[in-house]
Amino acid sequence: MEIYTIKELNFAFPGQDKAALANINLTIEEGEFVAICGQSGCGKSTLLRQLKTILTPHGRRSGTVAYRGLPLEEADRRTQAADIGFVLQQPDNGIVTDKVWHELAFGLESLGCDQRTIRLRVAETASFFGIQNWFHKPVSELSGGQKQLLNLASVMAMQPSVLILDEPTSQLDPIAAADFLASVGKINRELGTTVILTEHRLEEALPLADRVIVLDQGTMIVNDSPREASAKLAAMQHAMIAAMPTPVQVYSAVERGGERQVPIPLTVKEGRQWLDRMKGDSVGGLMMESDERDGSVLDPYASNFATGSARRAAIWNSILNRKSDAAKADSAAVAFRDVWFKYEREGPDVIKDLSFEVKKGQFCCIVGGNGTGKSTALSLISGLLQPYRGKVTINGRNPAAARASELFTNGLGVLPQNPQSLFVKKTVGLDLREMLSDTKLTTEHKRAKLDAVIRFAELESLLGKHPYDLSGGEQQRAALAKVLLLEPRILLLDEPTKGLDGFFKAKLGRYLERLNADGVTILLVSHDIEFCARYGQIGAMFFDGAIISSDYVKPFFAGNGFYTTAANRMARHRWPNAVTAEDVIARCSSKSR
Amino acid sequence: MQQQEPLIRRRLSRRTPVAAALVLIVIPATILFGLFVLDDRKYMFVSVLIVLYAMIPFAMIFERRKPQGREIIVIAVLAAIAVAGRSAFFMLPEFKPVVAIVIIAGVCFGGEAGFMVGATAGFVSNFFFGQGPWTPWQMFCFGLIGFIAGNLYRAGWLRRSRWSLCIFGGLSTLIVYGGIMNLASVMMFAAKPSREAILASYVSGFWFDLVHAAATVLFLFFLARPMLEKLDRIKLKYGMME
Amino acid sequence: MRRSAFAAYHPFVNFVYFAAVLAFCMLWMHPVFQAISLLGAVVNAVLLNGRRAIRFQLRFMLPLFVIMAAANPMFSHAGVTILFYMKDGNPVTLESILYGAAASAMYVTVIVWFSCYNAVMTSDKFMYLFGRIMPALSLIFAMVLRFVPRYMHQLKVISDAQACIGRDYRQGGWIRRARNGIRMLSIMTTWALENAIETADSMKSRGYGLPNRTSFSIFRFDRRDRRLSACMAGLLLVLVLGAASGANAIRYFPSVHVQAMTAFSVLVYAAYLTLCLLPALIQTWEDWKWKSIRSRN
Repeated sequence: MEIYTIKELNFAFPGQDKAALANINLTIEEGEFVAICGQSGCGKSTLLRQLKTILTPHGRRSGTVAYRGLPLEEADRRTQAADIGFVLQQPDNGIVTDKVWHELAFGLESLGCDQRTIRLRVAETASFFGIQNWFHKPVSELSGGQKQLLNLASVMAMQPSVLILDEPTSQLDPIAAADFLASVGKINRELGTTVILTEHRLEEALPLADRVIVLDQGTMIVNDSPREASAKLAAMQHAMIAAMPTPVQVYSAVERGGERQVPIPLTVKEGRQWLDRMKGDSVGGLMMESDERDGSVLDPYASNFATGSARRAAIWNSILNRKSDAAKADSAAVAFRDVWFKYEREGPDVIKDLSFEVKKGQFCCIVGGNGTGKSTALSLISGLLQPYRGKVTINGRNPAAARASELFTNGLGVLPQNPQSLFVKKTVGLDLREMLSDTKLTTEHKRAKLDAVIRFAELESLLGKHPYDLSGGEQQRAALAKVLLLEPRILLLDEPTKGLDGFFKAKLGRYLERLNADGVTILLVSHDIEFCARYGQIGAMFFDGAIISSDYVKPFFAGNGFYTTAANRMARHRWPNAVTAEDVIARCSSKSR
Repeated sequence: MQQQEPLIRRRLSRRTPVAAALVLIVIPATILFGLFVLDDRKYMFVSVLIVLYAMIPFAMIFERRKPQGREIIVIAVLAAIAVAGRSAFFMLPEFKPVVAIVIIAGVCFGGEAGFMVGATAGFVSNFFFGQGPWTPWQMFCFGLIGFIAGNLYRAGWLRRSRWSLCIFGGLSTLIVYGGIMNLASVMMFAAKPSREAILASYVSGFWFDLVHAAATVLFLFFLARPMLEKLDRIKLKYGMME
Repeated sequence: MRRSAFAAYHPFVNFVYFAAVLAFCMLWMHPVFQAISLLGAVVNAVLLNGRRAIRFQLRFMLPLFVIMAAANPMFSHAGVTILFYMKDGNPVTLESILYGAAASAMYVTVIVWFSCYNAVMTSDKFMYLFGRIMPALSLIFAMVLRFVPRYMHQLKVISDAQACIGRDYRQGGWIRRARNGIRMLSIMTTWALENAIETADSMKSRGYGLPNRTSFSIFRFDRRDRRLSACMAGLLLVLVLGAASGANAIRYFPSVHVQAMTAFSVLVYAAYLTLCLLPALIQTWEDWKWKSIRSRN
């Protein structure tokens, strides 16, 4: 039976001529898992909000949305509250009360269930999601992943027949995101709940979905099974291909225009099989013809001495001899020497014997799991924290002892994880101008500086908007512009790609490359392996309070077994040095030609 | 405006009998009970009871009205900001933004919301700082300031200009908060309230109250305009103009 | 803080207990009752908060006690037993000294009782009790309790982010610091309000505002709660009878007067002692029982 039947749906926000949704026709069957994707601002959230009356924004709307055969508006609030579960993007914002058990009961309380029913449902739900161990905890002690799982569980406690999720994993780290999506898959599989999900982390979501819908500027361009949808996008050569899993990207680039003999690969496993089938004839020779440009990376030392250019060898040496380079400290932008740090006297060490250097002009990416001390290391660099042993220096000076005005003007720039923590004023323009209010520049000089930054970050059309009305990617750009007004020579970024879709990530990556080309040293900390591999120059892995390996990004990721890009996992058995989708595509096409 | 009138009258009419009952019957009865049964010595006990009574009508009306989710959340957010602000400036005694935020809440969302923000902030902050006999007094003082601010604004005596708010903030902190809390400390600390004890309390408390009032003025001076802008934006953006 | 056996009882029992103990403590200034109450408060506070907490508290309380006791005779000159005259000619009386001491002892006792109250009556218990009669307000409390730690964390995030663009509230002159501090509060306000809208969506989406909302709790009023309530009711009855007979009262002015001790008044003392030590007794009983079970195995 159909859960939702959407006919000729059009929607426009008040005061806007352009339709946010145009001519949507869609049927969703009971028990289906539907993934909706598209670039930020394509209307996917708007579409989701049409599926529950109380969340529908104001605006001009035509067409019908039928729920179980009847117009949605006719389903009363109680039915909608119980039957249609909705999980929002920000884990923190979805939670209303201060205790886990209370949050689980919140919806059932609203429905007026009695004590016994609630007790049973809460217990069942907690067991299903494995919450029983933190059932009595205050919400403030949970991790981000636990919070989002709590949001999901407290919606599921009402036993809805449809579960709608609006980019639920965008704020989570990859491991928590995978866990969360696995729970959603389990709900769909084991309870038969219909799931409608928007997502830009498609690598995990796509294999779960029965159907993929792609929106582009408010219209539905694809509505098909994941495999068929990927194939159609590939045939269209649509920009959304960039957001699809790596195997799809590779496949669509390689098989461009050709006939499709094999089904399109969605997962790494299928990707490997596809590669093998495509290149099956030359398996024997392939390992031999590993290309000359990078050399083998299975032994990085060998690779270094065998192939490195002079500049590369110099950096590589500094990595090798990182404990004894006081003499070379002048060329280091950021240097850690035997640094130890803990938050509390009796507490555990968060940073343990960390020695590490970022040379001037490098673009360095630090990857690593949650709670390994990456962010703490950033705080040590910016002087917010001080080591209890060892030394941190910025351009040879101790950041904690420097005055803020010296340290952060023409020196260090820090883009915080949450760009919202930088916005002060009610429009972007005022906010940027405010940054220069303390300086003694002339008006023209200020204007010139502002114009340059605005042009660089492409903020021209956004100047009059409230910072909170911008999308995540736009906020990131505005925050970056604010930081750039201080003209930093070293830029620190903490999880800059969190919550950004592929399109904005690419944009951010290009900005960083341009800044780097201008001589700005960039140090970023991220979970986003794909991003680091694509744009970074040096990769470093943080584990248990210290950096345990570092190298140029390509050999760095090629040397990792688990902690590497999907492209590398897919193609490493043939081309160990292929790290990004582009690398694999390039090698595929050169071989096929 | 025309739509609002009956609403206000209705609220008033509901509040009146409860309030009248409290003022005319329960409060005197408590005082008499204290005088005769408890032998006029139980100032702390009687005064705490009276302060609690004074807050009951507000709570009753609020509950009876079945407030909407949005309203609840705005009150909760503002109260939480006040509490967080109180904790954030913990190192400076008496230098607290609570009164300023309560006044802004009253001006922006009306006297009732002002009272709720104040009373809630007073109550919840003591979950972090420790409950004690002072809790009801603080709740009442913060609430009352919010209530007065909202009603003076509605009556047109208090304006949204920076100076108007600053003057009101300074005076209300000094007179309402200082006035009541000094009396309360006599009721709580002093063995037997006497004119001298009350006077001594006001004299010794004056400088603290002055710092507190100055803090309120300072916070209002810098915060009032941006805060009101932000709240108006929220009201507009999410249709809370009711 | 160690697990308290008394705190494991139903919130209603906890609340009635503290209401009664606090009310009696404020009402009865008879020295025996005051001593019993103070003893009970301190014993319970030690069990609940540990010895160090109460030592800290008493170190702070004792000077207060002395000052308050000494201040009373300066203001109050009632009483018939004049000890000496002050410089301004006002008499200092024994009664007013005793009364001052009693009143400040009462204040100290109230504070110590409140420290026990804070340890036992956690916010979720309070919310449970008042969730039924004040659903909207108790939801506000729950939300504020959820928001405050979140906002404190956000303030830290904001202050770090601001420090990294050279807007450190810890540096610069007094005015600059104050302005940067207020700026942080202002940024936090925007952030809090904008994010709260999504929380409101989450509430609406889960049916908040539908009529006939119920209030769930994880607390159950079971048999031992009933037994303890009955026990407390018995003690309260004896105490109220005692109060009615005047055994709990004391008159300070014009001269100190208490009723002579009788068998009944001793019974009342015993009842009060039991009441005030109730949490400690329960704790000891449970500890003993636990040990005996463990030793048997």
